[in-house]
This record gives sequence, structure tokens and C-alpha cells, in this order.
Amino acid sequence: MSGIFNLSVQNLLRHRTRSFLTMLGIAAAVGVLFSVFSFNRGFEEGLARELQATGLHFMVTPAGCPHEVASLVLHGSVTPNYLDTGVMETIRNIVGVNLATPILVAQLPNPDRQRVDLIYGVDTNLLPRIKPEWEISGNMPSGPYEILLGYNLAKRDNIEPGAEFRYPNLDTTLTVSGIIGQTYSQDDVFVFMPIATAQRLMDKPNGATAIGVKVDRPEQMETIIGELRAARSDLQVITMNQVMNAATSIAASAKSLSLAIALVALIIGAVGVMNSIMMAVFERSQEIGMMRAIGASRWNVFRVILQETVILTVIGGVIGIIIAMLGGRLIETFIRQVMPYVPSGDMLRFDPALAAAAVVFAVVIGLKAGLYPAWKASRINPIEAIKG
Amino acid sequence: MIRLRGVEKKYRRGVEEVRALRSVDLDIQIGDFAAVIGPSGAGKTTLLHILGCLDLPSGGEFDFDGVRVNKMRESELVTLRRKKIGFIFQQFYLIPGLSVLDNIALPLLFSKDKGANGRGAKDRVTELARMVGLGKRMHHVPAQLSGGEMQRTAIARALVNSPELILADEPTGNLDSANSKKIFDILHQLHQNGLTVIMITHNQELAARADRMIRIKDGMIEV
Repeated sequence: MSGIFNLSVQNLLRHRTRSFLTMLGIAAAVGVLFSVFSFNRGFEEGLARELQATGLHFMVTPAGCPHEVASLVLHGSVTPNYLDTGVMETIRNIVGVNLATPILVAQLPNPDRQRVDLIYGVDTNLLPRIKPEWEISGNMPSGPYEILLGYNLAKRDNIEPGAEFRYPNLDTTLTVSGIIGQTYSQDDVFVFMPIATAQRLMDKPNGATAIGVKVDRPEQMETIIGELRAARSDLQVITMNQVMNAATSIAASAKSLSLAIALVALIIGAVGVMNSIMMAVFERSQEIGMMRAIGASRWNVFRVILQETVILTVIGGVIGIIIAMLGGRLIETFIRQVMPYVPSGDMLRFDPALAAAAVVFAVVIGLKAGLYPAWKASRINPIEAIKG
Repeated sequence: MIRLRGVEKKYRRGVEEVRALRSVDLDIQIGDFAAVIGPSGAGKTTLLHILGCLDLPSGGEFDFDGVRVNKMRESELVTLRRKKIGFIFQQFYLIPGLSVLDNIALPLLFSKDKGANGRGAKDRVTELARMVGLGKRMHHVPAQLSGGEMQRTAIARALVNSPELILADEPTGNLDSANSKKIFDILHQLHQNGLTVIMITHNQELAARADRMIRIKDGMIEV
């Protein structure tokens, strides 16, 4: 023998299409809600991971907009300002500085391939430390004229390790030592090369767009930055925490918008639930009257109807999470296209606690939507209902 | 068992006041098998609703097992209906998605008694299904049953809480004569087993077979 739960399930199954569509509304809303939170969490974790992976504590750049600097630190955007690497002497002389390394990012015409390349000059010996997640097809650069290509760049022109690159203002041919596996980040479009080679190409023998700095002890960082600012007021220092905040603020506005859309979708879904259950109550008023006649209390009736909304929202919520996970790659690809910076790695990871929270939230909204129909059902006059 | 004295039932239909029952005096003894007959609009169903504690009289006295019903709270009326009264309706009112067994067991879902949904209850539901001749149809849903089978399911449902009183509102109204006879025979059998049965019917032939006939006209019982 079955219980009240089965009674509620059977009631929903009577109008399968209606129940399914109502559930779909909830599923869409929960899917978006889950994706937004999942993405946000993945974004913050990925960002922290990438910043951690640089092994640097702060960056020194020419004075400019903090978002521009964050962008530079995270994916090497092109800025028109250069630092003189002579500043590294000043930095290295400050007590407590462990490492200072230059980075040069620039756009460079590539007439052979009829495009403009984005070059990223860096101490290539540090790359395994800075980008530990990279999967290289071929080898890391071991000489001054060896370069690494990003995945998209290599794929577009069908370039294999061993291929040669030429730039007009460099008399030496560059050899592709390896291709970086797909990262779904800006790294996929860069040409990575030794900093000295990049400086030659750009005709900036002592130029750098930023200097990455690592200190011996993080607690000394404030003192070191203070000393650096006192020595060179024309420089901008940005810590990795500031980079994180700047990048997070870029994502925050997208998150707010998506969250608002998800909440509106959830409210529409809840109205759908209310409408669907209300219709069912009207259609079943005789049956509800019969139940009251054979001994169901108002609370019994209320419970049966409210349970129907819970079933709809729970199943809708679970389906929404499944859809979000299945469609995660599509969503991620879209996000990577529209966001100025997205950390590498999977953004949408299944977090059981987050999934449960999304479903619980949907159920709470669903319960609120179910209260009125349930109350209405519990107030049905059995005599009127039985008379039809 | 049931005692009505000067029971009145008035309600409003727009601006008009309708006196559905007028000074009704009625005694029903334990084990009675009564047929309530009368023309449409005479007050038969109103009387049945009051006897079934679905509605309260506007005036007069109504005692059930010696307890004054007029003053009962909603929750007490629910308990009284659940424990002591079984309803059978002309339209059966079975839940479409539930099997015969689950439909019969429906009142148990609302019971607060311990064990109301236990093993013993399951045995009782099965026994009731067999008793009304649905032993081979227990797992069928209403759409797979004939009208007579649906009404027999409804009778078993009315019996599941072991009530003292069965109230049947035109139980054969939607059935052919063969099925009507079967349903009447079941009700008669219940009466012979000691149950009190009150049945509204338009079928004079069936009414004549009840132990007692209550004629009602214009809200009044004809003596």
C-alpha cells in the first residue's frame, strides 16, 4: 500500500505534459542559478590557483589603470608603456626581495602568415613554475630562438613542433619547440619566447611591460612595497590580492546580471508551479471533497497539495543541475568568449553542497508558490465540491 | 445511534432563503437498514450530509452515539467522520492513478491511529477487496474497471476504517440493473453483519427491500 507521497505523485502524473513543462521551468531557473554560482566559485578558485602558480607576490608596472594591470598580470594584455629593466636593480637591492623577473607583452606583425602575433617574452626557465598546468606537445624552449605556441595559434595554421617563424625585424629564424595544449584561456593565442628575444624583436633592449617580484617572507611585502614606492614614485605596484580583486570585480558585474536573470526565471518558474497546482486543485475539487468526506482533515489536504509542489521543484531542481552539468562546456565556451579574463581549467565543477543549496532554494521558492493552492484546497467545502 | 429533533437546515441562494430541512425528527438505531426516498430537491442529500457530519444543522438537536454534534469543532467532526462513518457516492470518486487496493486504503492515509498503514491494514484492505468480489482486480486502476466494479471499490473504501454507519448517496444511480442488484446485495449483507446502512435511492424496487423507508418531501419527513 502506498502513502500520501504516492497520492501526490499520481496526481502529478495525471497531467504529464503540464507537470513536465512546469518542472522544466524550475529546471531552467535552477540550472542557471547553479551555473552562475558554480562559475563564480570556479572563477575565484581558478584565479587564486593561477596567481599562486605564478610564484610571485606582486608586479611592478608603469603607472596605469589597475584593471589594465590585472589584465596584464593574468593574460598579458598589450600596454603602450614600458619599464626599463634597469629598475630591476633597484628592486633587487631592496632587502627581502627573492626574485625579480621581467615580462614583455607586445603585438608584432607577422607578414609571412599575414596577421599580427601576440608575443609574450618571459624567462622561459620559469615557465614550468608559472604555468604548471600546461601540457606541452614537444619541448620547452631551451635556447634563445626557440618559442612555444598557444593551441589556437598552432591549430589555425596547422603548425607542428619544429616549424619555423620569421619576423621582419629579426634576422634569425625562430623554431617552434613545442605547442601548448588547449587551456581555454588567452594562453591559446600567444607566442611565448625568451624575454631577450622579445626585447630584440620590439627593439626595446631593456624594455619590459612588467616586473614580477617574489619576496622571501610574505609578511615583509608591505615594507618592501613601501621602500620601492619611496625609491620610484613613477611605478605602480600591484599585489596578487589586488589583482584578484580587480579580476573578481570584472566577473562580479557579470555574476550580478546572471543572478538577477536566474532569480527572475525562478520567480517565473514559481508562478508556473502555482498556476499548475491551482489548476489541478480546481480540476480535482470533487475528489478533494470526497477526501474530506472520508476523513481527511484540512491539514491532510494541505499536505497532499503542498507535497506536489515539493515533488515538482525537487525533480525540476535536480534536472536543472543535470542540464547545467551536461551543458557546462557550452556555457564555459560562451563565458570565455565574452569575459575579458577567465582562468584556465574547468570552470563548472560539480559541487554537491552547491547543488543541494540550489535545489533547496528552489524548493523554498516552490513551497511559497504552493502555499496558496494548498490553502485554497484545504478550504474546499466538501458539500459544494461533491455536489459539483 | 442517531437522534434528530427539530432539525432545521437553511441556506441562502442569492437573496432567497432556502429551508432545505424543516423540523426533522428522526431516530436511527444500530443495525438499521433504511432507504431515504423522495423527489428531487426534497432534502434527501441535505439530510445525508447532516447525518454524515459534513454539514451542521441550522437549528434543532443532532446526537450521534449520544454526543451532541451541533457543538462539535471542525477537528472533532473530521475524527467522527473518519472513525464512525463510511460514505458511498453515486459518482464513485476513485483516484484515477491509484490501484483498487490503494483506493480502498485511501482513508487509512488520513488516520492518526498507530498501525493504520501497517501489515494488518494491508491484510484488511486485501480482504475487503476480495469481499466485494475484486480479488482478481486488486491491482487494476479505475479506468480498467466497470461501473459496478468501481462502486464495489468505493464500498470497500467506505468499510476500511470499520465504521458504524454507512451513508450511500444513490449508490446505484450510475449502474445498470444487474450491477445495481449486486451493490444492493453487498449493502444488504453489510446490514446483516450488523452495520447501520442509510441509502438514498430513486429506485423504488430497491428501497422496498430495505428494512425501513424514510420518505422526505419539501424538507420534511413524512410519517
